Amino acid sequence: MNISEKSKKIIDSCRFCWMCRHVCPIGNATGLERNTARARALGASLVVRGATELNEIADNVYECMLCGACTNNCMTGWDPKVFIYELRREIVYAGCAPEYIKALISKRIESGNVFGLPVPEKLTKAAKKNGKTLFFAGATAVYKAPECVLDALGLIEKAGEKCAFDPLLNSGADLWFLTGKTKETFDAASRCAQALSGYDQVVVYDPKDLAFLLHECREWGVEIKTSLVSFNEYLNNLIDSGKIKVNKSEKEYALQDSYAYARDLGDCESGRKIIDKVGVRKEMLLIGKEADAAGELIMREYMPAVIDAAARNRWTSAKNMNCFTLVTESPDEYVTLLATKPENFEVFTLEKIILNNMGE
Amino acid sequence: MNEFLFTQVLTELEDAVGRENCSVKEIDKVTHSVDYFWLSRMWADRGRRMPEADFVVSPLDAKETSKVVKIANYYKIPITVWGGGGGTQGGAIPVCGGILLDTKRMNKIYEVNEEGMYIECGAGAIYKHVEWAANERGYATMHYPSSLTCSTVGGFLAHRGIGVVSTKYGKIDDMVLQMEVVLPNGDIINTSSAPKHAAGPDLNQIFIGSEGTLGIITKAQMRIYVQPEVRKFRGFLFKDMSSAFKAGREILQKFKPSVMRLYDDAETASLIKKIVGVEKPGAFMNVAYEGVKEIVDVEEKILLETFARYGAEDLGSEYGEKWWKEKITFFYPGHMMDLPQLFGTMDTIAPYDKIEKIYHEMKKAVETNFPQAKFIAHFSHWYEWGCMIYDRFIIDGKDVPQDPVEAMRLHNAIWNLGVRTAIANGGVVNDHHGVGIKLGRLMKEQYGPAMQVFEGLKKSLDPNGILNPFKLGL
Repeated sequence: MNISEKSKKIIDSCRFCWMCRHVCPIGNATGLERNTARARALGASLVVRGATELNEIADNVYECMLCGACTNNCMTGWDPKVFIYELRREIVYAGCAPEYIKALISKRIESGNVFGLPVPEKLTKAAKKNGKTLFFAGATAVYKAPECVLDALGLIEKAGEKCAFDPLLNSGADLWFLTGKTKETFDAASRCAQALSGYDQVVVYDPKDLAFLLHECREWGVEIKTSLVSFNEYLNNLIDSGKIKVNKSEKEYALQDSYAYARDLGDCESGRKIIDKVGVRKEMLLIGKEADAAGELIMREYMPAVIDAAARNRWTSAKNMNCFTLVTESPDEYVTLLATKPENFEVFTLEKIILNNMGE
Repeated sequence: MNEFLFTQVLTELEDAVGRENCSVKEIDKVTHSVDYFWLSRMWADRGRRMPEADFVVSPLDAKETSKVVKIANYYKIPITVWGGGGGTQGGAIPVCGGILLDTKRMNKIYEVNEEGMYIECGAGAIYKHVEWAANERGYATMHYPSSLTCSTVGGFLAHRGIGVVSTKYGKIDDMVLQMEVVLPNGDIINTSSAPKHAAGPDLNQIFIGSEGTLGIITKAQMRIYVQPEVRKFRGFLFKDMSSAFKAGREILQKFKPSVMRLYDDAETASLIKKIVGVEKPGAFMNVAYEGVKEIVDVEEKILLETFARYGAEDLGSEYGEKWWKEKITFFYPGHMMDLPQLFGTMDTIAPYDKIEKIYHEMKKAVETNFPQAKFIAHFSHWYEWGCMIYDRFIIDGKDVPQDPVEAMRLHNAIWNLGVRTAIANGGVVNDHHGVGIKLGRLMKEQYGPAMQVFEGLKKSLDPNGILNPFKLGL
């Protein structure tokens, strides 16, 4: 197994430490001992020492949302995600990936997306080439939350902005999730970077795509010659500049922090600023960087019951704090929270609550 | 067990808990074979496989637990109960194979009862999650051990755990009202509806600390407390340990601080210096006092006056607040002792007339007989009558045998010497980590003929000896 010294060091630090067990959304959903950073590290450490085989831990390496809750919680600064990504790469290279992962990779190669779906017709029709700004929806939103993409495009149009939109663009973050840093991931990221570089500004809808483009691509030397802006920041700018007029209502909203926004991008405020402009903000107990992740749609392809259980746990947290309306800032969590929504509760995207509270 | 019988048992366990909650996968066996016990960690570090269970089951509740226990009884297969796996005594390691019963699926928060001031929850609930449930209603559990985030309600009860604000709020056995327990024959019982009564011995106290040898705790009602209006800290530096013990004893006759932690010179100069920043020589003591503001103000006045009479240097609130903020940091990799070091915590407890002597005798015994070992200690849970020692030995990696058998010999020799010294001077085998397989052999030395009470209970409740064999000396 060819993993870095950095990963080996993290593995040997995490293999006997349970301190982040309580924040793992998967472990909390399954109650399984193996769904902890320490169990994955222990398994990997035994592979490194020749006491077990890589294929014996393969399933468990994929039972991770890579949400970074463990990383955020570690007082010493260890990052289990580092070795998880490397293990995924090694598992794929060794040909011992679980069949359900192989199937997703095959779909990605054949159709351009891990879901194996065609672009929804309404989004094909919405494609636009002209404009100095590109609205980059990302593969997860295009294939799994097309209505959200249409809402976002509609809002942009109402603001009088002219944005290009290409539903076929894929950052490569999906391959990063499934295979770590492989040649295929690098090539996908490079192709995306080249496509984005033709615009003055790119508004990135999915915070996971933005984090991947800003962090991994930069680290790998993939040059992106454009200005990348988060969708939340873009929306705040549209409102602050008066291009979108909103009315502040008395309706209470609680933000479901996207782990990519909060932990990877360090932004826990932009979503809250939007809520403050259109309604009354409520909060759950665990928010910002500490918020529990409520969904990951690639993982939902192969562990739907577990991902939905994680989303239901988040609804329980909302209920305990009398938060009846959740607002999401990522397509993954919008889809999973919508699918698991209890009766008398609501879930909206940020663009939707703006649309619902637009003034004249 | 032959393949046919193995498969037969597997299907019966699957029938009891559901196929998806019964595993024979290698990853599940491996992750349940190593707990926080140094020997298990060392064994794995040397590339050896620890003893593993044959089956890993996760029951949903007492009913499913009962079914598993009945199957185990019929086939005479051992059951080892696993909560969070954060125990230091090897209590959760399935040393005889058989069934590993993981309680974490029993993690439901059934009720936050604000009138009765308790939370009813499954024994597999992570205590931090119980704390969050209390926090959502404005309360607190006041059980804050370093393992708060990784250990379960049942794990703390089974090993009689304790948290850092114990001096005011008590140990885990002070925090439980009622428990549901599955007996070794599969019967499901409830202890009395309130813990303080004259209706015979307290059933709770039979199962608390029994480490899964007498029954499996499946549900519990844990106390919640009103959040204090204020929590204040004060750090002190004592010139010698004797003055600190006297000052501590006196303050406990006047009021109960929440935190009282006295660090010996060696630990003050190492961990406290590193994490809290205290640079001066001496014995550092951190005291927290909390509750209604007016009362806390009076307590602070009494504390300062009392400690001044024993020559304690008042370090103000800064170090204490830093300690509170970093109280769990001590236990993260990079701060805590870790492999390749050999280390252990020989916590013991005794009345004030014995505790200081125990400390000095244990320090002398370990440092004299094992000159390669460093001995550090703090005293972290105080009562009106005495306190406990959290004493640790640490041996640098270069002095630890690579051969795992020799490493085990060295480890066990230090433990034998340290704990026997504690017992000989009036201490007990352990204060709050439990006994497990690590100290089972020393239980008879501790109790002598009194051990027959535990053995009688075990024989009566578990005649087939299926529950957690070779733990607790039973």
